[in-house]
Parts: sequence; C-alpha cells; structure tokens
Amino acid sequence: MRISDRRFALYLMAPAALFLTVFVAYPLFRLVADSLFKISPIAGGPRDFVGLDNYIRAFASEAFMGAGWRTLAYTLVVVALEFALGLGMALLFTALGRKSEVWRTVFLYPLMIAPIVAGLLWKFLMIDNFGLIGTLLHQAGILQNPNQIGWLSNPDIVLFSVAVPDIWLTTSFMCLILFAGLQNIPGDLIEAARLDGAKAPTLLCSIILPLLRPVIAVALVVRGIDAARAFDTILIQTNGGPQSASETMSLLIYRTMIRFGDPGLASAMGAIYLLAMLGVAFFAVATIWRPGKDN
Amino acid sequence: MSTAETPINDSFAAEAVAYRPRPAGAVSAIPATGTKASGATAGAAPTGALTVEPATPTSAVSGTGRPRRRNHHAEGLEAGRRSTRTLLWIILAAAMVLYGFPFLYLLFTSFKAPIDTIAVPPTILPKEWTLENYTNALGRSGVLASFINSAQTAIISTLLSLVLAVPAAYGITRYKTPSGRVFIMAALVTRMVPPVAIGIPLASMMSSAGLADTPIALSIAHTTISLPLSIWLMSSFFEAVPNDLEEAATVDGCSRLGALWRVVIPVVSGGIAVTAIFAFLASWNEFLFALLMTAVRSQTTPVVIANFQTQFGLDWGSMTALAAVYSIPVILLTLLLQRKIVAGMTLGAVKG
Repeated sequence: MRISDRRFALYLMAPAALFLTVFVAYPLFRLVADSLFKISPIAGGPRDFVGLDNYIRAFASEAFMGAGWRTLAYTLVVVALEFALGLGMALLFTALGRKSEVWRTVFLYPLMIAPIVAGLLWKFLMIDNFGLIGTLLHQAGILQNPNQIGWLSNPDIVLFSVAVPDIWLTTSFMCLILFAGLQNIPGDLIEAARLDGAKAPTLLCSIILPLLRPVIAVALVVRGIDAARAFDTILIQTNGGPQSASETMSLLIYRTMIRFGDPGLASAMGAIYLLAMLGVAFFAVATIWRPGKDN
Repeated sequence: MSTAETPINDSFAAEAVAYRPRPAGAVSAIPATGTKASGATAGAAPTGALTVEPATPTSAVSGTGRPRRRNHHAEGLEAGRRSTRTLLWIILAAAMVLYGFPFLYLLFTSFKAPIDTIAVPPTILPKEWTLENYTNALGRSGVLASFINSAQTAIISTLLSLVLAVPAAYGITRYKTPSGRVFIMAALVTRMVPPVAIGIPLASMMSSAGLADTPIALSIAHTTISLPLSIWLMSSFFEAVPNDLEEAATVDGCSRLGALWRVVIPVVSGGIAVTAIFAFLASWNEFLFALLMTAVRSQTTPVVIANFQTQFGLDWGSMTALAAVYSIPVILLTLLLQRKIVAGMTLGAVKG
C-alpha cells in the first residue's frame, strides 16, 4: 500500500518538528508560564501566582527600559557600521575583480572565531593601561595619554566599544552576501550608465543600491536579529558595566535570572524581549524584504 | 553521477546566483571533491574553483581569455584605469592589515613571557618567544577534557541536526505542501528566539531528565540553534536538484524513500557537507548554553576560556594561548573548505 505524497512529506518533517516543539516551543511555553509566578530561586522553593505583576515590574524598572534602549542602539550601531564597511569591501573586491580572490578568502577568517574569543581579544586591545590601541594612538601623537579614552571604563562610550568585536566578527558576512549580490548586477547595465556619463556616486545610489535591495534586506534582517541577541562578547568584555552602561537585554535577563535570583521577573523580561524581536523582524520582513514581491 | 551534473548546474545558474565554474586548471582547494560530491555542490560551488566565481552576463559573452592590456578592459563594476586599480590595491592592503592585525596580536601575545603580556606600555612582538603560556594553559586541570567535551558536543549536535534536517528539508522542498510552508516559516521564527529566553527552562528540563551536565544535553541545546539553519540550507540545496531525477528512479522501481536515499542524497552530499560545517561551528563556538548547562564534567572550552578571567585572576597569557589553540583548527578548516562555506552562506540570502 502506498501512502499519499502529502502524508509522506509529513512523515519526513515530523521528527524535526517534534524536536523543535519539545526543545524550543515547550521551553518558550515554560518561560511564559514562569513569567506569571513569583518564584523563589531555591530549587523546590515556593511558587506563587502573581498574574501580570512581573510584567508591570519589568516596565516600571529603569534597568529594563534602559537595557531596551541600549539593545536598540547597539543593534543600530553594529548593523550600520557593518553594512557600510561590508559594502565598501564588497565594492572594493568587485572593482579589483578576479585577482583579489585570495584576499577575499583571507577576509573571511573572523567568521570562524568564537565570539567569546573575539570579545576577549578586543578587551585585551582596548583595556586601560596595557591595552595596545591607547598606546599606539599615544605613540602616534593623537592622544596625550594612553588612557585618555577609557574605551571600556567610560560609561559614555562603552556601548560603542563593546560593539567593536561584533562588527569585526561579522563584517565579513555582510561583505560576502553583498559581494554575491553585486555579481548579479548585469555588467552592460553599468556600462550603459557609464556611457551616459554617470559618475560613481550616481552609479551607486541610482543603480547598484536599488538593484541590491533584496540582498541588503536579507543581510540587515539576519544580522539585526543576531546583533540584538548579542551576549558573549559583551559579557566577557564588561559584564554589562560600568554602571550598567553596556547592559543589553540578554545580559539583563541573564543577570536577573542568575545573579539576582528572580526567575519570574527574568521570564517576563524574556517574553517581552521575544515579542519585540518577533514584531520588529516581521515588520522588517514585510516592509523591506517583501519576499515574493520582487522579481 | 556525471549525467546529473549538467542539469543541476544549469537550473541553479538560472534561478540563483549564477555561479560559473572557472576554467580548468584553476587553483583547487579541494580537488578531492571532484566528480561525485560535485554533483551536489556543483550548483553552489563549481569544481576546481578556489572561490565561487560568479558570472555576469557580460563576462559570459566576452569569455575568459580576455587580453590583459595596460588599461585592462573593465567589465561591469571592475575598475579600468591602472592608476585607480593601484590605489584600490593599496586600500585593500591597508584594510587587510587592519582586519588581520587583532588575531595576529593574539598570536604574538600568546608567545610572550607571561609577565610581558601585561607590560606597560605593551609591545606588539614578544621580547623573547616562549611556549610558557601554552604549557601553562594546557597543563591546567580540565583544559584538555574541555577540548574533548567541545568536540564531542559539536559532533553529536552536527549528526543530530543532519539526521533531522535532511529529511525535513526534502519533505518541504519536494512536496511543497501547505504544512511544509508553515513548517519552514516556523523554523525561521525559531531563529529569532533569544537563547537566554529558553536557556533556563531547557536546563531545568535536562536536569529532570537526568541529563544535567552531560554532552548530550548540551548538544541537544546546540541543535535548537543549528537545526533551523540546517533546514534552511538543506532546502536551498534540494531546490537545486531537478525533480526528474527521482522520477526516473521511481519509474525504475525505487520506493520514494529508496529514491531519496540512493539517488538524491548522493547528489546533495556536498550540500550536506556545507550544512555539517555550519552546524559544527555553531556548536563549537557557542557559549551561553554551555555556560548555563554545564558544570564540571561536560564543560566546553569557551566556558573554560571565560573562567580564566575570574578563577585565576587575570591570566592573559594562558587565555590568549588557549584562545589560539581553540581557534586555529577551525580557521584552518575554513580556509581549506572555504569555497563550500562561501557557497552555503551566500545561498539562501542571495536567493532571498
């Protein structure tokens, strides 16, 4: 007896679907359930139903709202810089053509480095006293004192400093995607525009960027989601400090859960965070990506 | 499999990125992938090419043997004038130095004497080259065990991802049922879930199942990250396989499962390799789940590296040595297999 194609397809998908249900959907359900309780951090401790109280506490807390804005700022900085640098490198590789192939390969290497290692490495470069960057800038005569800029100790700039390893790690990804997109732009289109006397900036803004739009959208959405979840690099560099100035949402939830032992509140924060991520991602997909609406 | 190669190449080129094999004799990173595996990767990464070399319509017309003139003939976006090209090469050289320097500095530091790693002012090169940091780092208890744990976790997670993702992606792309469409959307949504949100519930589930602090528990957690990615990648690879292939096999008396196993899987074996690399890297480099779910027995190296910071004061020398030892195998692996990786990364995104 032969089962229908539809059923056969279902059987093929079932194990993966089951796995994701048990190990992603169910934990998420637990998260939402936990967010409605006040939970003692001690295993087997009391568990009292408090309704939406944890959500009210989350929105009322300065730490939570601050972390929300910082996560947004961090994501925008990371994605914007990565995009600018990645596009620059992709155009450079395209302009140099086939001879730059080897360098394109070498340029990929940070993608394979663990974020924890990248965070550590940049902390070592930016740390006060024995950090190399301050010293080199000092030796070049740009800074009067190697510690003039407290990259990781000045609360005003630390959010940008902790973004550096993330940018360093994934500019290659952005470059790779944009480079592949650039290769799909018909060469005669560019040549025709050149014959019409179009200069490089016009070429970039009125031909290249519009044609790359779908590719750019995918790259921005994928990287935006990752940047908004950044954890490893920030934890190892500053642990959210100084004065919570680099505490993004992932770090705040982690610390609320582990350090401050308030799983109920942490779960409420996690649920809000997840909803916000889904909302922004769907909005981004619907407005800039528009799958299926482009040819 | 050689009969299968041509149509795959064509259909892929037509619908996707239009990668084109480079002329024969091009430097080959992995000549061994040759005929058999290439049937699958063919679509994504043509054989014999060091890097995926995309084709533009112009270059396809003008062919490969273009003359190298003083002002070489520019195609599309390539820079034409020699002075411009020289300037661009200088910019590229500067960018490569800046981009490559941080990791080189990590390597140099790992060869310094432990006390020199925190010298003020710091020097770029070691005053004397020594392996002291390496012997210190690798000699610490638990460090070698953490390498074994990392490898074990990553291998289990990779196998689990493949076993689940390959049939699922095939079911989604080949039969295009409504449930398949819903499923691939759901898998994409999973990618947006912040690990910190499911880490704690997952950890408590594992301990109630008696799996606390085991590589199995951590590899299951890592699979929640790599499975959606694997389904997405494998779907792109299956998309490039023409339907006629299994139809021919089923006409010859193969069951659907038999056709999948004996005809389709060998054709996409290159794609499976790409997916495996990504799943492996996702697990090898993961930190948050490892931090939440492991204690002593199953601790992976990223957690050990992070612990150096608190546990032993600030032992920068050992930390840099351990970080180097942990990163170099995957960097080498990547450089070796880079054309596959490039193909995998560009595939889904550019098809959009």
